[in-house]
Amino acid sequence: MRQPPINRIAPDAIKAWKISAAIAEGVLWLITIALFVLAFIFEFSYWYGLVAIFISGVSTFFTVFLLPKLRWRRWRYEVFEQEIYIQHGILIVSRTLVPMIRVQHVDTKQGPILKKYKLASVEISTAATTHEIPALLEEDASELRDKISALARVDEDDV
Amino acid sequence: MFEAKRLHPAAIIFNLIKTVREFLFAIILGFITFRDESLVYFGLIVGVLLIVFIAGSVLTWYRFTYRIEDDELRIEYGVFIRKKRFISKNRIQSIDLTSGVIHRIFNLTKVQIETAGTGMDAEASLSAVKLPEGEALREELKSRGAEPAEDEESADESVEKTNPSATISFKRLFIAGTTSGSIGVVMALAATAFSQVEQFIPERFYESTMQWVIGLGVVILAVMAILFFLLLWLLGIAGTIIKYGKFTITRNEHELFITRGLLEKKQLTIPLRRIQAVGIQESIIRQPLGYVTVFAEIAGGSLAKGEDFSSILFPIMKRDEVDDFLETFLPDYAGAGDEFAPLPKRARKFYLMRSSLLFLFITAAVAIFFPAFIWAPLILLIGTLILGWMRHRDGGFQLEGKRLTIRHRVLGRNTIMMYHKRIQAFEKKQHKLQKLQDLATMRLSIIGTMGTGTHFTVKDMEETDADELSDWYSRRSQGS
Repeated sequence: MRQPPINRIAPDAIKAWKISAAIAEGVLWLITIALFVLAFIFEFSYWYGLVAIFISGVSTFFTVFLLPKLRWRRWRYEVFEQEIYIQHGILIVSRTLVPMIRVQHVDTKQGPILKKYKLASVEISTAATTHEIPALLEEDASELRDKISALARVDEDDV
Repeated sequence: MFEAKRLHPAAIIFNLIKTVREFLFAIILGFITFRDESLVYFGLIVGVLLIVFIAGSVLTWYRFTYRIEDDELRIEYGVFIRKKRFISKNRIQSIDLTSGVIHRIFNLTKVQIETAGTGMDAEASLSAVKLPEGEALREELKSRGAEPAEDEESADESVEKTNPSATISFKRLFIAGTTSGSIGVVMALAATAFSQVEQFIPERFYESTMQWVIGLGVVILAVMAILFFLLLWLLGIAGTIIKYGKFTITRNEHELFITRGLLEKKQLTIPLRRIQAVGIQESIIRQPLGYVTVFAEIAGGSLAKGEDFSSILFPIMKRDEVDDFLETFLPDYAGAGDEFAPLPKRARKFYLMRSSLLFLFITAAVAIFFPAFIWAPLILLIGTLILGWMRHRDGGFQLEGKRLTIRHRVLGRNTIMMYHKRIQAFEKKQHKLQKLQDLATMRLSIIGTMGTGTHFTVKDMEETDADELSDWYSRRSQGS
């Protein structure tokens, strides 16, 4: 665990994350606008709206412009014959080892945003935990899924 | 055991209780709404409902049959929709017998059968059968036809056929009750709650209550408070004695067998191979007295066992008896020494910070807004600092071959032993400050109750230690 894993996830992940963050932020901006409209109708102070603009602005800057890139830069994974090695996390860096023989099943998932960029995420489940490798190229994802699934078929050794 | 059998007719009562309980809320609600004018009609409706329920319970009982055929437990049930459930003997993980108070009047028992499946309830539950019948059923379902493994095992067994067993003594049981912690927690909660709430009670109310209280006299009040806590404490003792009375654990070749309870008798089986980890818990009250609780983390299983996630292997014993106990019942988990690799000194500040941060803010807030009450959060702040200091002192790990033992403290101190093969995933986490100090947090996951994982964390350990443990865990570095 001294060396980080080698493989990065697809660069388009940044775009996909930006879009999904932008949608979430859009809701926040709608609330901000609503606050102004309400302030106009019911004649209360515009200060609440201004505070809301500030909050929305800061949070948009972070979640849309700053974090996706940092997140992508940190995300690494590597699949060995015996185990899967994952690294993620911006402030708290987490490195996880999942032994192949503990893998119960592997899924690939794809939402509309990932589909737009021809990406998919791989989800690995053990009896106790689930781990997700987000936003790989479609073919990489299905290849990885098949590979893990094949490797996970090793017989249970009772070491 | 081939003919289909019905449950004991007492099952009708249990069915009825179950249905009524489900509708109880609606009935009470109805009673409150119709209390004034249409109480007669409401009474009628309840009467009709009751008759329907009784009829339903009788039908449910009448339609529920079970039999053992072709090495399978076959249950057929359902009033309108007939359902059949076949459970193969080989898939049965554990069979538990529970006898509640009503059961015991009729010499009955409830049989709960569990497979590896996950869920809140047992896979099959026979709510009332005669006790001898239940025990015969368990024996029948446990005997697994002709199994080669069994023969090898029995060869070993003829050498020493004695199944070790341990029972709790009444004195120990009493100690367990007195130190069960309910009293301490309740008192601490009450004290904290009062000191916090006091500030938010409207002045008027507060004053009038105060006058009333002063009218009562401080002495009477104090006596009442003491009596109240004494009562709680006695209830706690009684509860423990009723729950764990006659606690007996027995081991045979494949499983642990636990019997407990004075009023409600429970017989639990724990297959050895489903034990994921064994732990020793020293609660904050018991630790100074040298008493511990031994528990096990068991894969699958249902909450119906009423064991709140971990299964207690023995409710109370002296610290120095643990090794003998484990040697007898779970030799794989015996012999953990006391030489834990401690946490580095520089981790202490993180622990102190983490446990006291919230109270630091509260203290600051109180200092600004209610300076007169500054003593209340200050006491709590000091308490949490001491707790943080203790957490740091008690944290640690111990590695012996394939077995990893970790120790950490929440309130009580937990020592958990697990094997390499039981650990499902290993995670090392590090935030910026930890990185600067070469510290890391380790998280181990094992299979827990109900198909969810149970996770153990050791915070702020030496980074080199975390890396070493990851190497130990990693299957790449195992010289293959």
